[in-house]
Amino acid sequence: MNGPLPPALSALIAPGDSVARQNEKLLRIAEVLIRHAEEMTEDRGAAYAQFQRAAMLEDQVRARTRDLERALDLLNASNAQLADATREKEAARQNLAAAIETVQEGFALFDAQDVLVMCNSRFNALLPDIREHLVPGLTFESYLDLAAGSMHLGMADGMTPADWIAMRRRRHEEHHFILTQQMGRDRWVQVSEHRTRDGGTVILQTEVTDLIRAERAARGRMLDDQAQILRATLEHLRLGVCIFDARLHLLGWNGRLSEMLTLPRTRLREGMHFDHLLEQVQGQFVFPPGLSAYRLADWVRSVRRKENFSIEVTREGGAQIYAIFAQELPDGGFVMSLDDVSAERAALAALSRANETLEARVMERTLELEDALSQAERANASRARFVAAASHDLLQPLSAAKLYLASLSDEIEGASSARTLDKAQSALGSVEAILGALLDISRLESGNASVTVEAIALGPLFRQLRDEFTPLAALKGLELVMRPVEASVLSDRAYLRRILQNLISNAIRYTEKGRVFVGLRRRGPLWVAEVRDSGPGIAEPDQDLIFQEFHRVNGKASASEGMGLGLAIVERAASLLGHPLSLRSAPGCGSTFSLGLRPAREAPPMAEQGTAMGAGICAYPGGLLVLLVENDEGLSRAMAQLLEKWGVTVLDVASGEEALELVEATGIAPDRCLIDYQLGEGMDGLDCLEALRARFGPDLPARLVTADRSPEMRARADALGAEILAKPILPAALSTFLFGPVS
Amino acid sequence: MTERERADTGSYSETARAFCPRRACVPADVADPLGALSETLGPGPFSLVLLFVTPALPLEPLVSEAGARFPRAAICGCTTSGEITGEGYVQGRIVAFAFPAPGFAVETLVIEGLDQLDTRALIADLLTARQALARRAEQHRNELAILLVDGLSGQEDALVAALSGGLGPVPMVGGSAGDGGVFERTLLFCDGRILENAAVLCLLRSACEARSFSFDHMHASEARMVVTSADPANRIVARINDEPAALEYARLVGVPADQLSSVVFAAHPVLVRAGGRHHVRAIQHAGADHSLCFFAAIDEGVVLTLAEPEDIATHLEAELARLSQQRAPSAILGFDCIFRRIEAEGRQKTGEVSRILARHQVAGFSTYGEQIGAMHVNQTLTGVAFYPPESVA
Repeated sequence: MNGPLPPALSALIAPGDSVARQNEKLLRIAEVLIRHAEEMTEDRGAAYAQFQRAAMLEDQVRARTRDLERALDLLNASNAQLADATREKEAARQNLAAAIETVQEGFALFDAQDVLVMCNSRFNALLPDIREHLVPGLTFESYLDLAAGSMHLGMADGMTPADWIAMRRRRHEEHHFILTQQMGRDRWVQVSEHRTRDGGTVILQTEVTDLIRAERAARGRMLDDQAQILRATLEHLRLGVCIFDARLHLLGWNGRLSEMLTLPRTRLREGMHFDHLLEQVQGQFVFPPGLSAYRLADWVRSVRRKENFSIEVTREGGAQIYAIFAQELPDGGFVMSLDDVSAERAALAALSRANETLEARVMERTLELEDALSQAERANASRARFVAAASHDLLQPLSAAKLYLASLSDEIEGASSARTLDKAQSALGSVEAILGALLDISRLESGNASVTVEAIALGPLFRQLRDEFTPLAALKGLELVMRPVEASVLSDRAYLRRILQNLISNAIRYTEKGRVFVGLRRRGPLWVAEVRDSGPGIAEPDQDLIFQEFHRVNGKASASEGMGLGLAIVERAASLLGHPLSLRSAPGCGSTFSLGLRPAREAPPMAEQGTAMGAGICAYPGGLLVLLVENDEGLSRAMAQLLEKWGVTVLDVASGEEALELVEATGIAPDRCLIDYQLGEGMDGLDCLEALRARFGPDLPARLVTADRSPEMRARADALGAEILAKPILPAALSTFLFGPVS
Repeated sequence: MTERERADTGSYSETARAFCPRRACVPADVADPLGALSETLGPGPFSLVLLFVTPALPLEPLVSEAGARFPRAAICGCTTSGEITGEGYVQGRIVAFAFPAPGFAVETLVIEGLDQLDTRALIADLLTARQALARRAEQHRNELAILLVDGLSGQEDALVAALSGGLGPVPMVGGSAGDGGVFERTLLFCDGRILENAAVLCLLRSACEARSFSFDHMHASEARMVVTSADPANRIVARINDEPAALEYARLVGVPADQLSSVVFAAHPVLVRAGGRHHVRAIQHAGADHSLCFFAAIDEGVVLTLAEPEDIATHLEAELARLSQQRAPSAILGFDCIFRRIEAEGRQKTGEVSRILARHQVAGFSTYGEQIGAMHVNQTLTGVAFYPPESVA
């Protein structure tokens, strides 16, 4: 090889190489180049070849392969999808099989042609004799035949296998149904059929044996629960309770019962006979007489125990009382309860005791009240006594005055003197009448008037009144009309008479002309006596006033016509007797007084009694001897009269000397002494008292009677220890002295 | 300690943020790096989280905890020979590149036993995975494959050739895991498992437009050489021009043979011509008997041309700018050859290159080789630029 190398090659050769070396190199280079060019695809250079190919493909082939690639992609994708789908299908099938195998239910799928596609091992597992025949391809009809032929299939009573097949075939037409089927001994399966969308049928079998057994158990438990509740309720009761069945065997009882019967629990056992129980406990109790334990046993044995049995027994030797109560149960047994009623009975006894105490206290108070009442009555009586005494004091001198006037009329001569005497007599009469009325009022007011209610025949009474008032009416030119009546009423004779007298005289008094009518009429249950006049009438506002004392409608009335006490007496007497009194009147229309009277049932005795008006002073027990030393003769006599009226024996003397002579001569010891202080000449009252005491002892009951209230007299009396009755002497003070104070 | 990088999706709206990939980076020595990453990335869910981890950090705890930290996300990653973050070239970091679930559907495929690759089975698996993904996320029109592969397996060429059979038109980019220049052990991990002699292929369908790229700044010189003796299985060239390979390379480069180093190899790579283009064949190191060990497939009879590099920074700026010509990507995932970093360092261009990478939102790591399409290449920046979906951009 000659000449320099071309520039492209010169670099290949190192500058210092020999020609031989150069040639060697070039040969070597050529060799590897040729081999490289030829053996590109050999394994030795695979990696570089791949690089080379890639570099070449990079630009040209890549573009071309893109279309192919796309087609391949699609193909690959399809293949992959197909593979996926196949895999998925297989997986799904396996999953489905696994899934239906894992479900607890029996599962079978029939296709639209009613041919079995698949079923799991639990399907009809309870029918082991047909299990092996259940394979895909089995028709539904054959399946029914198989199942009906299984010896383990339970059927309702009276159902034949043919009936069962018919039933299932019929239900199969329903597309969806559920029924509970017995399979095997006491095992239950809920069978349901569902039609799928493509016309296939899915049969699901769920074993519900546990459920049904649990239901049974639950029912049992519920009964148990109720029994427990009943048990707890029984135990809760304060009563001892036992229950017996129709054969009289003990069914149940509570703890309280064994406590009450003081029986150990072990002695009470279920099924024990009633008689046995009764034997054990009957000695503990005392049955009431006539209600022995046999009565209870009899009741228990009676066929129909319509009536409940109830008895109270006492514990032998104890305080406890038990109420036994037995009642029939619907099943022919009975329930018996024992109630400890000791506390109730004790409470009842305590109540009864309290009641007695209360009654005793009421009685005590009643007696106290009666005492108070009698005190009040005694007080009233003393008032009445005063009224009587006062009227007596007034009436006695009045009567004396009238007698003196009467005796005078015989002696005087001359007309004018006689007229004067008449007037004096008339005036005294008026005073007497007024005093009588006042006494009446006083008695009525004090409520102390003695009233005797009896049957009174009105006929004689009216006749007497007519006779009494006809002349008086005639004197005023009035007509008195009184119808004769025949009726008996209940009233007090004297007061009724006084009421009618006052009403009639009142009518006559205020009536100037016309007439006064007195009648009787029947109004309901009452007789009504009416006194009607044609007088001036009374205005409404005055109608209440006329019944007040000392009220007179017409002020002109003379003193002789009374002081207006008449209607006051009427009102009070009617009120006392319970006779309703009413007035009907108007000015110018006259007045009508009505008095309601209760009719008497029986006729009054025929004999008419005289009136007892004025009798009221009780007679005191006599025997009391009073020495009266009084130099004033009038006073002496009046006092003597009063004392004698009280039933007292009076020794009246006019001076101290006389008194001493009397006791000296007679030797009489007076029980009481009344000594006037001023006795004129000789010894005075105190001297006399001193002398009497000297004779009879210092305890001689005596009173110095005087109107002298001078200090020296009082000093002397005090020095002597003499008690004084001040003039004018009050009859009450006198009475107290004589008879002791009213207790 | 560098500040934590904010999960950056560029200047796009929050709506875009919900669809577009997000980046985060933490120093490996923080107490809870996953927590910090998760916080920076913001709320999930994510369909895929790629983690590029400095070899300085023990992988085991990180990998075992990541699943709980990013639930429902596929978590894949590898060791690096340096990381690329918002600061450009860095080291000792963990870089996260996360794909939000609303924007991305993902299938991952773990390929083990690279030295005994069953191409048919691989293609079948790959097709199944692609179809499953297509069925799952038909609405996402854009397909993309991202490969992480053991950088010391020496099987990248065969692997990508095999994968290309199943990937068809799907663009694929990838990076070979590094170990910080030690060349002893590069590791991968996927869903809790740590892998060796393996690759992880992530198949994505996305609402985002993804544009893959691969560029180098090398030109062919006149100086050519022929491999006269080689061990292709081990990527070892024994003799060039019938001389001991390292000596002949040193003579042609004009460097004394005893001064050959990574810097020299990075500055003077050789090219092979294939498919009408030159491709860089980076030299890993000079071995015994003056042999040369390559980062990519080599064969006897291959003509090697010495490369004449352009200025790395100028070229990078121009190429990245072209990616933003129509609209700016929201993020760029970059697999950058370790020799580019070494070359930049050798030429004192590290800072300049870092700034350019940062400005263009590049995140990734320094590799022991890159994959683009069906090719395993060297000394390139290979990657993919993500653009927000037109509808939400």
